[in-house]
Amino acid sequence: MSRYNQMKHTFTYTLRILLYLILIAPLLLFAAYAFSTRWFFPQPFPVEWTMGTFQRAINDSRTLSSMAQGVWIAFLVSILSLILALPTARVLGLRKFRGRQLAWLLLFLPTVIPPLAVGMGLNILFLRIGLAGTITGVVLAHIIPTLPYTIFTLSSAFARFDENYEYQALALGASPWQIFLKVTLRMMTPSLVVATLFAFLISWSQYLLTLLIGGGQVITLPILLFSAASGGNPSIIAMLSLLFVAPPVMVIAFTARSLNQHGNEIREQY
Amino acid sequence: MTTINILSLNKTYLNQSAPVLKDFSLSTNDGEMVALLGPSGSGKSTLLKLITGIERPDSGDIQFDGSSILNIEPNKRGAVLMFQKSYLFPFLSVEENIGFGLKVQGASSETIRAEVKRMLNLIGLPGIERRKPGQLSGGEGQRVALARALVTNPKLLLLDEPLSSLDTSVRMNLQEAIRTIQREFGVTTIFVTHDLGEAMAMSDRMALLLNGGIVALDKPENLFHRPRSLAAARFMGVSTFLNGDQLPVKCEASLSSEKIFAIRPEHIRIQKEACKDSIQGVVSDCVFRGEYVEYQVAIDEMTVRARMTMPAQMFSHGEQVYVNFQSEKLFEIHW
Repeated sequence: MSRYNQMKHTFTYTLRILLYLILIAPLLLFAAYAFSTRWFFPQPFPVEWTMGTFQRAINDSRTLSSMAQGVWIAFLVSILSLILALPTARVLGLRKFRGRQLAWLLLFLPTVIPPLAVGMGLNILFLRIGLAGTITGVVLAHIIPTLPYTIFTLSSAFARFDENYEYQALALGASPWQIFLKVTLRMMTPSLVVATLFAFLISWSQYLLTLLIGGGQVITLPILLFSAASGGNPSIIAMLSLLFVAPPVMVIAFTARSLNQHGNEIREQY
Repeated sequence: MTTINILSLNKTYLNQSAPVLKDFSLSTNDGEMVALLGPSGSGKSTLLKLITGIERPDSGDIQFDGSSILNIEPNKRGAVLMFQKSYLFPFLSVEENIGFGLKVQGASSETIRAEVKRMLNLIGLPGIERRKPGQLSGGEGQRVALARALVTNPKLLLLDEPLSSLDTSVRMNLQEAIRTIQREFGVTTIFVTHDLGEAMAMSDRMALLLNGGIVALDKPENLFHRPRSLAAARFMGVSTFLNGDQLPVKCEASLSSEKIFAIRPEHIRIQKEACKDSIQGVVSDCVFRGEYVEYQVAIDEMTVRARMTMPAQMFSHGEQVYVNFQSEKLFEIHW
């Protein structure tokens, strides 16, 4: 029995190491490319390390401004997406009504319909009403692919939500706003964090819609990355890729911590 | 403090044909505890929702001290709720939970701290301010929920089966605690339950609710010993009903077959030997319950349920016995 356990232990341990490797290997490769120079085929490892590419990328005003713009857009998209998703998810999660299935289907269409089709149509519409090439237009376009994920995350949380908590607060004298802020939002926090994370990541990595609606006026990091990729300088591509990964990793690290915190509170509830 | 008048309430939910409450009226005295006893689906919880303002009645009125509350916002009515689950906010400590009502009403933090301390002493759980609801047992959770409800000095306390998820021993304990604290506060209370024993143990008056209306309303002891309608009698555990001409005991009023008499199971005696006014029957079922034995005795087409306190003579299934009704315990049922 202990032999079996030992084998099981070794097996899961190996699998875990393997999993970490798969996740980290590409990043290591990016780092190797980004911080080295003159690394050619027969050499197994880089021979000459340099900060040059990093400095060039940082000193290029386009890099920093595209990152700032990307973060700003992703931030706006997250907020708007949450504001739209919260009431929708509440109704879908808590109420049974005729046409609920249809509502689900409609809200999930963006995940099925190719973004190119939506983007082209939107582009024409936004050109007409003057939103093409503006941050507002890009933000509105980004909400389309993010909304299904935020709604889905929040509605499954609402399906477990017990409205009696709100009734308790109501009977104790809390106003609707107080109930929303002090009870509903607090109970929903873990799911809100996850939904924000989804919205942020989807918006941050959005290439096609940004390109179509932004029309070259709104430059985010994915746009720079794609043009660099066609340029063919591996050091630049690797450096931009590293910069591209940085904010999401930071966001995940931050949310993982708060998720753990709130996960404990949710567990206490049941 | 507060008298409650509920005047011919009607409520039908959307998509439902049958009304949940039909011409429901109930008046309580100041500081009284009224138990609403009814099976599930009888409209008990709906009534509480109407009083708190979570739902609106189709017609009728609810008055606190003579003035209607229907147009008062739910959070200004002063009717607090306690459910089967404690519904303590999991992210707040015990102190913050109890202080919640005071805080949203704008009390200062010193007042809140002092009040919370006073309430914790009252419910017999001093010193647990810092604990989280997850660290409380079911009974402790309900005590804290009671404290949270009462700390705001409500006009009306509504209890929605607050004890039905607890173990029997904790439950007994909490029944007494709720009763004591309720008396001490003098808060008018409506207590919803489907448990007859609990309703009798806790209430000043007891209302039987069936199909959206009250079928009987009286002091527990009166209802228990002399329920006046068939439905009420069934509710109170009476299952033996006899037409006047079936009565073994002949008294002047009893001869008419129009009249119906009932008797409580503990007033029926079963014995081996025949005696005056006894009827012969066959034991068809026997259940031993510890403090008493329950017999079902078949007499012709009729089945009589008897309950004999232990120690009692034991009979086995199929045994020939004589059933003896205590004539002075028979009472008349009005349809």
